[in-house]
Formats: sequence, structure tokens, C-alpha cells
Amino acid sequence: MADDSSTLRDRLDALIGAPLGANAEAVAPDPVNQPMIRHWAAAFEDANPVYVDPEAAARTRFGAIVSPPVMLQTWTLPTPTITGMAERGGSPVETTGESPLKVLDDAGFVATLASNSEFEIERYVRLGERLSASTVVESISEEKQTRLGPGYFVTWVTSFHDEAGDVVGRQRFRVLKFKPEGSGA
Amino acid sequence: MTAWGDVGVGDELPVLEVPMTATRIVAGAIATRDFMPVHHDRDYANVQGAPDIFMNIISTNAYCCRFLTDWAGPETMITRLAVRLGVPVFPGSTLTFTGRVTATERREGEGVVEVEFRAANDLGDHVTGTATLSLPLDARV
Repeated sequence: MADDSSTLRDRLDALIGAPLGANAEAVAPDPVNQPMIRHWAAAFEDANPVYVDPEAAARTRFGAIVSPPVMLQTWTLPTPTITGMAERGGSPVETTGESPLKVLDDAGFVATLASNSEFEIERYVRLGERLSASTVVESISEEKQTRLGPGYFVTWVTSFHDEAGDVVGRQRFRVLKFKPEGSGA
Repeated sequence: MTAWGDVGVGDELPVLEVPMTATRIVAGAIATRDFMPVHHDRDYANVQGAPDIFMNIISTNAYCCRFLTDWAGPETMITRLAVRLGVPVFPGSTLTFTGRVTATERREGEGVVEVEFRAANDLGDHVTGTATLSLPLDARV
């Protein structure tokens, strides 16, 4: 038991600071563009004119249309493969590569609960920019007894870059990977 | 439209109420390019143990930004948005955003505003969070 546990800890420790899985480096399939921003603004009924009105945007400090700041994540998501999505457990793309999520799945910590999201924005990006993202595992907690069951908090940081390689924003994301206890209520 | 000079600690942000429907949740999921079936397929969500589809986290962040800039206006740059995630958002509930200013600071060329906020529905707090906004010192578009 103790032996298994130390082996799991060693495997987790080896992944801290490493890229998160095989999709850790992502290039946006499309440059920042008006149709997708308009779709976003419509979905959330966000009337901020800097997203869709070139003349109003020109009168602001931004000087032109900008992307909603938290859309950084959307720009760099992979294009989904619709076929087989349910068979992949709902994942829009095939996920491969060593990651703490997989290691914890294999150790019985099969349930996932998102816990925190923290964006830091360096600048707002403009139409035509092609973004990329890289995701690194920042930390993995000790095993904790939570009200949902025993689990580990896994934190990763995604850095979003422009074409020059400069960071335009970061997102720190934390999930609890746990073994469901009781009725799951 | 909010001008930096008019913002004070303790100011309450205008409440934002979003009546959630399946259409709103699916529109958000697709606009954010999040195709996880739990955000658009109720049968799939049921198999996963959820009573219905539920809103994805990118949509949550998008509504947080809307709540902040509906108040602070188009000159706002959101420089930090930190949320702790709580109960899910299902169709049929109203998600209500409330918040207040916790600090203001004048820095070189900009006014910085700290806000604490929450978004709650009939199940409890969906998110609690803090945000940092930058406004031009002369913002009055």
C-alpha cells in the first residue's frame, strides 16, 4: 500500500514542470477574426462595442477591434473531431501522452472537478493575430481528503503567445481528481 | 460608462441577471468552441450523472467579463480574472451576478480598480471571484 502510494507520488512528481499531455503545444487553427468574435458577443449578449464596432473601437484606447480577453482559450482550442467523441469519453480530440490526469485516472482517481480559473491578461489581441498556447503542469498537491472523496489538486498554466513569441496572457487552471465516495451526492 | 474618477471603494456594480436556457448554454459552448457533449447533449449528461446539460467554464468566464464591462465600459482592460468554481449552471435557473469595488489605485497613466463578485443561482454560488480592471485616467468616451 505504502509502496504503491510512493510510486504514484514519484510518477506525479516527475510530471511537475512538464508539458500537459501531447496537446500541450497548440497553434490556433485560425487567426483572431471578426466572425468568431461576433458569434461570441451574440452568444453572451455582450454589447461591448470594442468587439464588433470598428468606429466605436477606434475611439477607445484600443484603437481598433479587439478580442474578448478570455477568448484566448477559444482561439487555441483544437478543431474537434465529431466522429467518435462519445467513445473518447467526450474529448473533442484524441488525447495522448503522459499527463497527471491519466496517471491519476489509472490510480483510481477517475472523477474530475474543476476548481479554479485565473486569467492574467498582458494585452488585448487584435484581428489577424495568430496565437499559440503552451501548457505546463505547475503543481500537484499531496493526497487530500475532500468532502467528495480522497483526491489530488492538479494545477496547470497555459501561456498564450503572439507571433513574436511574447506572452499576451496566462491562465492558471486547477482541478480536483478524486475517487468518488458514497452515493456521489 | 464609468469614469475612473467616479469609482469609489464600496461601489456596487449593477446586478446582471441571466435567465439560463438550453439555447443559451449551447450557444455559449459552441461560440467558445467547447464541444464536450455534457454542454449540449442532455442524454450524454444524464449518463455522466448530471440531471441536464450544464454551462462550460469558458462561458462562465465570458459572462464574468460581460458583467464587469457592462459597468466599467469599453475603455476597460480586464488584466486579471480569478474565479473559484462552485455549483453548476443548468437550464431553467437564473444566474445573478453581483459585485463591489474593493480597492482603487492610481498608477502611471491608468486607474486600477479591484472588484470582488459572485454569480449565484438556485443551487448556490456558481462562482466567487476577484478581478482587476485598468481604466484610462480620463476615460469618458
